[in-house]
Amino acid sequence: MIADHLFFACINVLLAWSVYVVLLSGSLSFAQGAFMALGCYCAGVLTVKLGWPLLPSFLIAGLFSATLAMLVGYPTVKLKGIYLILVTLGVTVCVRVLLENFKFIGGVGGFGGMQGADLNSALWTVAFVALCLYVFSKGALQRVCDAVREDELVASAMGIDVARVKLYSFACGAFIAGLAGALYGHYMKFVRPENFDASLSIYVVLYVVLGGVNNLWGPLLGALVMTLLPEYIRVLAEWRPTVFGLAILIILLVRPQGILQFRTNTHRLKESLKNG
Amino acid sequence: MWLGQLLNGLVNGAMYSLVALGFTLIIGVLDKLNFTHPEVFMLGGFVGLVSLHYFPAPWALLVAFLVGGAMGLFTEWIAFRRFQSSESKITAALSSMALGLVVTDLVQKYWGSEPVSLPSLPVWMEQNIEISGVQFKYLNFFILLVTMVLMIALHFFINKTRIGRQIRAVAESPLNASLLGIDVKRVSQVVFFISSGLAAEAGLLLSLRSASANSDIGLLFGLKALAIMAIGGLGNMKGAMYGGLLIGVLEASLFVLGLGRWVEITVWVMVILTMITKPSGLFSARSKLQEARA
Repeated sequence: MIADHLFFACINVLLAWSVYVVLLSGSLSFAQGAFMALGCYCAGVLTVKLGWPLLPSFLIAGLFSATLAMLVGYPTVKLKGIYLILVTLGVTVCVRVLLENFKFIGGVGGFGGMQGADLNSALWTVAFVALCLYVFSKGALQRVCDAVREDELVASAMGIDVARVKLYSFACGAFIAGLAGALYGHYMKFVRPENFDASLSIYVVLYVVLGGVNNLWGPLLGALVMTLLPEYIRVLAEWRPTVFGLAILIILLVRPQGILQFRTNTHRLKESLKNG
Repeated sequence: MWLGQLLNGLVNGAMYSLVALGFTLIIGVLDKLNFTHPEVFMLGGFVGLVSLHYFPAPWALLVAFLVGGAMGLFTEWIAFRRFQSSESKITAALSSMALGLVVTDLVQKYWGSEPVSLPSLPVWMEQNIEISGVQFKYLNFFILLVTMVLMIALHFFINKTRIGRQIRAVAESPLNASLLGIDVKRVSQVVFFISSGLAAEAGLLLSLRSASANSDIGLLFGLKALAIMAIGGLGNMKGAMYGGLLIGVLEASLFVLGLGRWVEITVWVMVILTMITKPSGLFSARSKLQEARA
């Protein structure tokens, strides 16, 4: 039982990070559930239909999601705020309907036969992604992302290709979501398109909001708390959406500037200037 | 066959239009995306359920509008009041999404997640009328009539009344409007009241049509209305209206052509295409240049 809970916590942590990576460059994506589904089905086809070993098929699944994200993202990352929310929601719905209509991968009935993933592999994946994100957060690339997120105009004036940074971070997010999907599929052994509906994508974004986005531990915390607590506290499991929604409302109300505000060096500088 | 499907599509489209109008009002005037909107729409059906139990049938229309409007005021107070600045646009969307979660969950706790059937409707609504060999329920015409009246009333309200003029001023620029002595807070409350009232009304009409109130339709139907709003252009009221009717008829024709499985996807593909080629909306005459300047 506890292994199950920890496994799903790992999946949710990966998804939360995939949202976080996209958010780093200032876009909010509601399509992570769709990319997870793509990764899941891609890895499933590779291992079940073609008999590939796990590791390469997982990596290919991630790359597959990332490639599709590039294709979808290329025309859309230039759009701002509300427009991007709409487009990513659209991607989520479209991917689900497409999966339901392909006989080759089972259609509405679902797709089964994957096996081999366990808690260990999930933990290793989380550790791997955490390491990558940590190294990334110490490097110059993080500064580039900060610049793009905080002020696109200034960033582009400094010679940063804003659209490309956004596109790459969208693709990286899709890669992580694809990995999570591949793990999920090979653990559940049977998936259906309806496992990946719009509410999944929405929930994942809310995990990130709950945990905060100051650093990579925020999404980790948000996802862990919201996955593990309901498993052990009965009341919380029954009232999950209510408690979850209220928690987010309270957090957002207590911090009116929004938890989505990053605390960067420039931000601190601005505050200290304001305070004299 | 064709005529029947066409009318079905029109009735569906009219309800899409009502919900999309609510979305577009809030976006157009306050530049905020209200994700509680689909859930207020869902709630409309349950308000109808309760009101049909206690009052005569026509009262349900009024009750739904008022309760929906009250929900709108509540939404504005809890999820939008603190996030006024243009940077907190996404934060406001997220907080309204959280409120939507709570509303759905509470409704499901009380009524269960299965559709609940309505008490029996007045006889005249259930009667059939025959037009060129196809049977129509009077109810369908009733729905079309109600939506038409609501849309015309909204048009007059926005264009001919004092508060409507204030709403248009705030839509142009909240800052300038407040300098001219307009109470922006009250205007936004009015906008939320009307938009949520329309959504609840649409929810009531949908539940009348399917003879049951369903707590799942928020995400399904409501998000589709959001998409329609985007197709018509953000903040474009005529666009939302035509967009809803267009999508309704389009879906009905897809059913006739035997492409029913692809109905769900058409509207979203259209959104993506619209966003890429003409983000100002399918029905807007403004060029991209004007959009950039605005």
